[in-house]
Amino acid sequence: MAEQAPAACRGPGTVVLTGVGVLSAFGRGTEALLSGVLSDQPAFGPVQRFDATSRRVRVAAAMPGSPDLLTELDRAVREACDDAALSPGDRAHSPLFLAIHGDPAIGRARPGSPGTGLHGLGSDAFTAEVAGRAGLAAEGFRCYTSACVAASTAIADAAAMIARGRADRVVVAGGYLVDSDQFALFDAGRVLADDGQVRPFSAGRRGLLLGDGVGAVVIESDESARARGARPLARLAGWGRSGDAYHPCQPHPEGHGMARAITAALRRAGIAADDLGYINAHGSGTGQSDPAETNALRLALGDAVADVPVSSTKSLHGQSLEASGVLELIVTLLAVREGMLPVNAGFLGADEACRLNLVLGEPLAAAPQYAMSLNAAFGGANTALVVGLP
Amino acid sequence: MTYPMTEPAAELAAPFSPCLQDLHDAASRAGLAVSASASWPETGDDGEVTPLAGFIESSFSPLIAQVAVRALERRERPPPDRATATATAIVIVTALGDVTSAARVAAAVDRGERVFPLLFFQSVPNAIAGYLAARWHLTGPVVCVSATSAGLDIAALLIADADADDALVVRVDLAGTSGDSGRAAAILVTGTTSQNNLGTA
Repeated sequence: MAEQAPAACRGPGTVVLTGVGVLSAFGRGTEALLSGVLSDQPAFGPVQRFDATSRRVRVAAAMPGSPDLLTELDRAVREACDDAALSPGDRAHSPLFLAIHGDPAIGRARPGSPGTGLHGLGSDAFTAEVAGRAGLAAEGFRCYTSACVAASTAIADAAAMIARGRADRVVVAGGYLVDSDQFALFDAGRVLADDGQVRPFSAGRRGLLLGDGVGAVVIESDESARARGARPLARLAGWGRSGDAYHPCQPHPEGHGMARAITAALRRAGIAADDLGYINAHGSGTGQSDPAETNALRLALGDAVADVPVSSTKSLHGQSLEASGVLELIVTLLAVREGMLPVNAGFLGADEACRLNLVLGEPLAAAPQYAMSLNAAFGGANTALVVGLP
Repeated sequence: MTYPMTEPAAELAAPFSPCLQDLHDAASRAGLAVSASASWPETGDDGEVTPLAGFIESSFSPLIAQVAVRALERRERPPPDRATATATAIVIVTALGDVTSAARVAAAVDRGERVFPLLFFQSVPNAIAGYLAARWHLTGPVVCVSATSAGLDIAALLIADADADDALVVRVDLAGTSGDSGRAAAILVTGTTSQNNLGTA
């Protein structure tokens, strides 16, 4: 399928997922996440982690207490490596691609003399610390800060490298824990849902809500996995990335950019639109983004869009910013392996601009062979990831 | 290789300054050809970076725009028209991010004040990438990373896998102290014959 220039191509290697680790507002671990997203009960509640009394909206999906990002990333990465049964030697040869907003200490650092006061801080230093604690490779780590596509972009890059034989294995992690600064920014931008619920693709939707998300996945070549006797959880069958070239922070209303990302991902997976059995949508629940994503799906999938089940689990676990791509890929993977698709919660009624085959009411029993996770971000950045069961 | 700048290495040697030479070296290691480049400051005339409408308080986004536009205007062929557009990826490399905006937000939060809404829209480097993409019709992927070598390796793979025909790679760093507007550099890179023959499937 990849001969027709200039369409997306890939290296010949098969890419697999062999381990996952996760935290969300539903708790730590994959069992908590799966039971949470299949419960149809959103994890939103009053913010208690910091003082939000002066904010317009005071709701988020946050775990109790004040978890520490470095500690939780370390735990999720270890969980993923344990799940993949990686030996200490395997870990020491696995680079970390980390998706975060940045070094959490930067905003309150007190610079000393010009150019030296921030020594030891920064995204790379933070990434090196996470990699070091988990026993991952001391070199080759990367930090991605591309907003809500940071983690999904890191996953796509890892897959592309592995498919071309440029790496045998990469651990991709992402982390966002609801914090006072991002909360204040999103509140000031008036994008938070003032009715306390996220209602993707629904009439009456009023915006997004932030949510805790820390996730890690072990991505490796099928050859590497089999050589060490590991059983892949799924294939990372396809990936696509694109830019809208439209606006600093609004999506292209016709969804042209996201449609190209979807098409590239399907092409790399070597499948047709009607092979998809589930789409975990970006579905932010905002006025402009949901119709744009609907148009992208209609453009890219054609008639198949009428049949493929779609849900945005941001309606359950919230928007985890830079970590969204890895959290939602894990949700997609767990759902497909369980044979139960999570609901698109918060739905009030149909919006003609968002006509999709939404999973409503209760989780849907299904056995898809292929599923897609979509993400979009400021800057018109779009990603699409396709997982296939082995 | 000629660089369109008047004060090379010494001017770019400060602790947090982006280095045009580093961008070129990383492009070379990644098997990419540089078709245009730019930096800030380049000459003594580069005093204060030109403000950018919609971006406030920090020189982070204006610096990126300044070097990106310089590089785009210097590329060896004219900007493609929309009918035959090539896909240009945007890769932004920044070690610390927009420390000025982050400090403004933290200070407002710690004082219990409201945050100015425009700070929300510039809170991630994607925003300025989207601004450039819209102005120059750059339809390739948008990626932000923290190290130059990673940025060029990502650009090389995007080009090899036909996610993009070329890539605009911008390195930007603020010094993190008030009054210092920071430094930036940008290159436009394309694939070379050897880079493109990597076993496309």
